[in-house]
Amino acid sequence: MAKIKFTLNNKQVEIEKSPTARLLDILREDFDFTGVKEGCGEGECGACAVLINDQIVNSCIVPLGTVEGKNIVTIEGFSKTKRHEVLRNAFEEEGAVQCGFCTPGMLIASESLLNKNPHPTDEEIKIGLSGNLCRCTGYNMIIKAVKSASKKGDGLW
Amino acid sequence: MKDISSSVRKVDSIIKMSGVAQYVDDIKISGMLYAKTVRSTKVKAIIKNIIIPELPSGYHTVDHSDIPGKNVVSIIFDDMPVFAEKEVKYYGEPIMLVVGEDKDVITDIISNIEIEYQEQTPVFEKIKSAINYHFVKGDSNKAFKNAKKIIKYDYETGYQEQLYIEPQGMIGEIENNKVTLTGSIQCPYYVKNAVKVVLDANDDEVRVKQAVVGGAFGGKEEFPSLMACELAVALRKIKKPIKLIYEREEDMQVTTKRHPAWIHMEAAINEFNEIDGLTAKAAIDAGASIGLSGVVLARALIASTGAYTIENIEVDGDVFLTNTVPNGAFRGFGAPQMLFAVEMFIHHIAKELDIDPLELRLKYLAKQGDATSTRGKFRDPIIMNDMIKKAMEMSDYKNKVKAYEEEGTYKGIGMSWFLHGCGFTGSGEADHIKALVKLEKGADDKVTILIAAVDMGQGIQTTMKKIVSHILNIPLDQIIYNKPDTDLVPDSGPTVASRTIMIVGGLVARAAKQLKEKWEDGKQIVVSERYKQPEYIKWDEDNFIGDAYPAYSWGVNIVEVEVCPVTYQVTLVGIWSVYDVGKAIDERIVMGQADGGILQGVGYGYLEVMRNENGRIVHKNVTDYIIPTTGDTPPMETFLIDNPYPLGPYGAKGAGELTLVGGAPAVALAIENAINKKVTRIPVTPEYIMELMKNG
Amino acid sequence: MKNLTPKTLKETLILLNEGDYKILAGGTDLMIQNRAWSNTLPKFNKDILLVFNLPELKYITLEDDCLHIGSTMTLEELLYHKLTPKLLVEAIKIMASPAIRNMATLGGNIGNASPAGDSLPVLYILNAIVVIESIERTRELPIEDLIIGPGKKTIQKNEIIKEIKIPMSNFTSIRFDKVGGRKADAISKISFAGVAKVKNNTIQDFRVSFGAVGPTVVRNKELEANVIGLTVDDMKVNIQEILNEFGNFIRPIDDQRSNKEYRKTVAINLLKSFILSL
Repeated sequence: MAKIKFTLNNKQVEIEKSPTARLLDILREDFDFTGVKEGCGEGECGACAVLINDQIVNSCIVPLGTVEGKNIVTIEGFSKTKRHEVLRNAFEEEGAVQCGFCTPGMLIASESLLNKNPHPTDEEIKIGLSGNLCRCTGYNMIIKAVKSASKKGDGLW
Repeated sequence: MKDISSSVRKVDSIIKMSGVAQYVDDIKISGMLYAKTVRSTKVKAIIKNIIIPELPSGYHTVDHSDIPGKNVVSIIFDDMPVFAEKEVKYYGEPIMLVVGEDKDVITDIISNIEIEYQEQTPVFEKIKSAINYHFVKGDSNKAFKNAKKIIKYDYETGYQEQLYIEPQGMIGEIENNKVTLTGSIQCPYYVKNAVKVVLDANDDEVRVKQAVVGGAFGGKEEFPSLMACELAVALRKIKKPIKLIYEREEDMQVTTKRHPAWIHMEAAINEFNEIDGLTAKAAIDAGASIGLSGVVLARALIASTGAYTIENIEVDGDVFLTNTVPNGAFRGFGAPQMLFAVEMFIHHIAKELDIDPLELRLKYLAKQGDATSTRGKFRDPIIMNDMIKKAMEMSDYKNKVKAYEEEGTYKGIGMSWFLHGCGFTGSGEADHIKALVKLEKGADDKVTILIAAVDMGQGIQTTMKKIVSHILNIPLDQIIYNKPDTDLVPDSGPTVASRTIMIVGGLVARAAKQLKEKWEDGKQIVVSERYKQPEYIKWDEDNFIGDAYPAYSWGVNIVEVEVCPVTYQVTLVGIWSVYDVGKAIDERIVMGQADGGILQGVGYGYLEVMRNENGRIVHKNVTDYIIPTTGDTPPMETFLIDNPYPLGPYGAKGAGELTLVGGAPAVALAIENAINKKVTRIPVTPEYIMELMKNG
Repeated sequence: MKNLTPKTLKETLILLNEGDYKILAGGTDLMIQNRAWSNTLPKFNKDILLVFNLPELKYITLEDDCLHIGSTMTLEELLYHKLTPKLLVEAIKIMASPAIRNMATLGGNIGNASPAGDSLPVLYILNAIVVIESIERTRELPIEDLIIGPGKKTIQKNEIIKEIKIPMSNFTSIRFDKVGGRKADAISKISFAGVAKVKNNTIQDFRVSFGAVGPTVVRNKELEANVIGLTVDDMKVNIQEILNEFGNFIRPIDDQRSNKEYRKTVAINLLKSFILSL
C-alpha cells in the first residue's frame, strides 16, 4: 500500500492503494468515474482510455503507482470542455455513436490526437484512433467526425 | 413536414459521449455481492465428485441442486442446462457460481474447489446430426440426369465472434419477492420466460430490465438467458443483490459464436451452358447444444440460391453436435455462410464454363414474381438491376475487374449480390411471437412507446420516436421511449432478425395512427396493436414450402483490394454499397448500419480468425482475435434506393443484417480477382493466400 | 506483497540488492500477462518495483558518436524525438497503438524479451549495447548477449537496464517491415529489419534481422559478412543462394497468430525484397 496523489479531473486527490492496482479500477470503483469502460482488460480495445498529462493511455494496464503527481482526465472531466463540445457536435452530426461503449475512449483518443496534431489528415486520424476498437460503426463516421471537429474547432487545439 | 429519412441527432448520443450512460457494469446496488462461474476444465466428462472447501460466512456456491424449477435454458430447443449436473459437454461449461462480497475470497474459493472428472472421448467431427432439413423445388434429379456437365465445389466458413465491445453482464436483486434482473440483453422477454421456467415462477415474480447495451450483434440474443437463469437461482438462494460480469477472455471462450459451416454445391449444366439444376448440402457445427442452430440452418438453406432464381434445386442440411462451445445467433444468422458459398459458386461456374460471370449472374438474377427457393413468391418489386448499375458506376467495377485480371497487378475487385429475409423465418411471427405493442398518451399529451425492443446501438430509440412523431405530428421530445422493463412493456418480441423496424415499427406506426384518430388533448389514452400475418403469406414448416419471409431487403457490395506479393497481406482499397431497405427511417442511422455491417462482414471474409483446437477456443482474447481497426478501414460509400414496402412503416424493411451478409463474398471475390486463384474458404488469410499462390 | 515505487535510481538499486523484485516500467506487457479479475490486483508472483517515473532513466543524448537512450523513455517520446534513429522510428510508428506507446518503454521492450518485440530486430542490427546497473557495478552487454530466449535474459536479480547505447552509423538503405494480423494494434507474425551501406555499387555494410521466427531475434553476422565487398549486381545474381543460407537459420513455429510455413516464406520474401531494393 502506498499513498498516491494526483490530479483527477482538475481536483487534487489522494488514495491509499497498492501501486500495482489498475488505474481503471481506481477510477471506476473508488472515484465512480464509470464513463471509463472495461472492454478487454488487456490494453487492446481502448474503451478504458484516459488522458495522463494530455496523452492517451489505456487505464486497464496503467499501474496506479505510475500516476503519482500526474494530471488525469477521464471522459467525465473532458466532457466539461469546449473541445469536447466541438467533438460531441461533430460525432452527433456525422452519426459516429452507436452502442456508445467505445465512445468515451474514442473521444479521448481524438482529443489526444488533436492535442498533438490539430489538423490531421485522414491517414493520421486512422493512426491516431487505431488503438480504439469499435464494432458498430465501421469507423467511417468517426473518422469523418474527427476531421470535421478539427476544422470547426480550429484554434482550440 | 420533412421526409422521414432526413436525419436527426440520435436521442441517446449525448449521454453516451459524456460517459454518464449506465451500462450494466456501471450499476452499483448497496450490499451487492459478486458472482463468478466455476467452469468445466474438460471437454467431455462425467462429473464424479465435487469437493467444496468450507466456505467463509457470507460466501455461497450455487449449482443445479438449488434450482427450484427445471434445469434448462429455454430458448427454442431446450437442450442446454443452466448448471451441468452429471456430465460436462464442452470446455467452459458452467457448473456452479461462487458468490460473495470480496472478489479475492471468491477467487480463492474457486481455486480450492476440487472436481473429479471421468473423461470421455469427445466428438469434434461432423458425425452426430441433431437436425436434418431437406427440401426441393422443381425437379433437380432430372436436371442432373440430363446434365452435360456437373460442376462441384466445397466451401468452408470459420467461426466469427461478435466481439461487442461491452462483455456480457447481468445484475440482479430481489424486490418484494420478485427477482429483478438488469442486463446487457437484446431480448427482455426471452430472458424473463427462461427465468420463469428455471425458478418455476409466476409471471409477476420475474422482472427483466435492459441496461444500456454496449453492442450485441446477436451475441446477446439467447446467451444472456443462461446468465440470467444462473443469477436468478443465486438470487433466490442468497436474497442479496448480485452482479455477474464476464471478463473478456471468459466471454470469448464460452459465449455463442457464428457457426462454422461446410457447404457442398453442385450445378447441373445443360447443353446450352445453362444452370439447369442446383444442389446445396450444408453442415453447421452447433457445438455442444442445439439451441438456435436449427433456425440458423433454416435461414442458411433458404438462402441457397442467394439473389438468383434457379428452377430446379435440392437443398439439404444438418446441424451437427460437437463437444465445443455452443454456437448461436450472429447478425445474418446462417445467411453469411450460405451467401459466401452461393456467390463464389456462381463465379466458379462461370469460370468453368468460360462465361463472363456478370453475364451469367444477370441471367439468373431474381425478378419480381419469381418463385423463391421454397416455392414462395417474390411479390414486391426487385430493383437489383438499378442497384447493380449504380454500384458498378460508383466503383468503376467493369473497367477494374478486367484490368485486374492481368497477371501481376495484385489488385482485385469483387462484387456480391444478396438479399435478406426480413423478420423471423417462416411462421415465427404469427405462431410464436405474436408481437404486441402499446402507445400510452398521458394527460400531459406526452406519448410513451411501450415495446420490448432494445436499442443496442442500432438507433431504434431514435427511429421509433421518429415514426410516432411523424404520424402524430408532434416533436420528438414529446415522445418517451424508455429502455424496456418487462413490468411495463408488452412482449413485442425479441430485438433480432431485422424485424424491429419492419415488424415492431410497423405495429407502432399502426398504433400511432389509431392514437391520432382517438386523440383528445389532455386525455389519457392507451392504444395497442398485435401482429397479424398477411393472409397471403403461407408457410409449411415441415416441408419448407411457401413464403419464408414477408419481405426481402436487397443489396450490392463491391470491395476493392490489393494483395501484397511479398507478405500476402490484403489491403482494403475501397468499399461501395447500394441497398434497398424499402425506405430509411433515418438515413444517417441506416448509413451507420451500412458502414458497421460491411466492415464486420468483410472482416469475416478476410481477417477474423478463430479456431477451436481439441475443444478449446485458441483465439480467446482481443489480442489474438483480430477485428478491423481504423487502420484497416478503407473509404466507404453507400447509396440507398427507395423501394417502399407497403406493410412496413413508411415503406421500411429490415436493414441491420443485410449490411453484413454480402461482405465476405465481395472481399473473397476481390482477392480471387487479384491472385487469379479460386477461393473456397473464409477467412481468406495471408496464410491461405500464400497457399493458393504457391500451389494454386 | 511489497510493491514499491522508489523515487531515485539509487534507492531502486538498494532495494534490488536487498530483495527479490520484478521491475515494472510502463506495464504494457506485465500488467497484461498478470491480469486478474477486475478490481483485484494483478497477480504478480514477485514483489514489484515501479520504475516508470525514475528521473535518472528518462533521457536521450548524443555523446561520442553514440546515442544514449534512458531505459524508461517511452516509445511515443522516442517516436517524436529528433535524435531517435530513423529505423527505430520506422519500427515504433507501427508498434501497438498511441495509448500503448505512451506507457511502453524501450527498456521494457528489451526486458520483456519477447521474440515478437518490434524494437528488438532494430536494436540488434544497430548493434545496440545495453547498459546494466547494480549497486556494485555497471556493465555493458550487446543486446544479443542479453536476450537468450523468450522472456529469458542474462541479467542478475540485483540489476536494472539503465540505458541503451546505439553507435551512430550511416546507411544508404534502411527497412523495417512488420507483418501483423492487421494494419495496426497487432502483435507481429514476423518482423524484419535491414540496413545496408552501398558505395560505388559495392556492399560496405549489410545487416538484417528477423523477429518472431525463433525463440529470439534472428541475426547472423557471419552470413552478413559474406556479402560485404560484393557488388550489388553480384548479390542480386546470387540472391537465391543468399536467401537459402539465411533461410537455414529461420525456424519459426506454429501458434495462434500464424504458421511456420508462412513465417518462413514471408521472412525470406522480405529479405529478398530488401536485397532487390539495394
